Amino acid sequence: MIMITGGAFQGKTEFAKSRYSLKAEDIIDCGSCDLDAVQSARCVRNYELAVKRVMARGEDPLAFTDRLKCDIILMNEIGSGIIPLEKSEREWREMTGRAGCIIASRAGTVYRVCCGIAKIIKGEEI
Amino acid sequence: MTLITGGSKCGKSSLAEKLLDRYGDNKYYIATMQPFGEETLAAIDRHRKLRAGKGFVTIERYTGLAELEIPSGSRVLLECMANLCANEMFGESGINDPEERIIQGIEHLRTLAEELVIVTNNVGSDGIDYGAETNGYIRVLGRINARLAAAADCVVECVYGIPAVLKGRLLL
Repeated sequence: MIMITGGAFQGKTEFAKSRYSLKAEDIIDCGSCDLDAVQSARCVRNYELAVKRVMARGEDPLAFTDRLKCDIILMNEIGSGIIPLEKSEREWREMTGRAGCIIASRAGTVYRVCCGIAKIIKGEEI
Repeated sequence: MTLITGGSKCGKSSLAEKLLDRYGDNKYYIATMQPFGEETLAAIDRHRKLRAGKGFVTIERYTGLAELEIPSGSRVLLECMANLCANEMFGESGINDPEERIIQGIEHLRTLAEELVIVTNNVGSDGIDYGAETNGYIRVLGRINARLAAAADCVVECVYGIPAVLKGRLLL
């Protein structure tokens, strides 16, 4: 499993496409796709939105994350702001952080992308 | 060209100024922050004091870098891209997507300047949905930053004053 993280609009998807020769149709957007398609997709992006949608369905996003079989997971870093006032936003942020830790611990390689530059923060190039 | 990014108040400016310390003259500081209100005035004042005695000529320029004339061979510090992008988008004659306009402005500066250091900002890491207008700003700034980083010889992310080099070699 490969994880690619970083802030919003830093070039994660572009990096994934070029590094792993993916076409647009190989990448599923967790913001709009069928949630059940996330589990076995080759590559998913915006995984933090899958966390939000799984929570909205009343399911445990961490159990959902444990079952992931994707090869490549793209996920925004979202935890660097002020604690949100809204309880549901706080819960989402917390679950996203924990889900990210689960993915990062399972992943053999973790990249962090900043300004379009990908740096390996765990493992090595696959 | 060197690009310096990082969060708020992490030592980006000090590092940027330090990068041009080895030059004694022909140094220009392009200030993009518009003096609106007390807090920006205080920030501008703080930055002026930081630069004092370092030999910079300050040029206040809020938009339209492509039309800015600077002497050729100058050493330029542009601060900061996040302000410039906001000015281009939300100023009086603001446009929706100033990406190309800003990139052209930077290319123009690069043809004139011997050395160009750009300070920008990381703004997309808090997961907050700010609505279409601000989300658009975060997207445009992210793209501009990635294009600048691709063209830059050196890219540095500042973390509490520590320069973490993302690309190239930091020449201090």
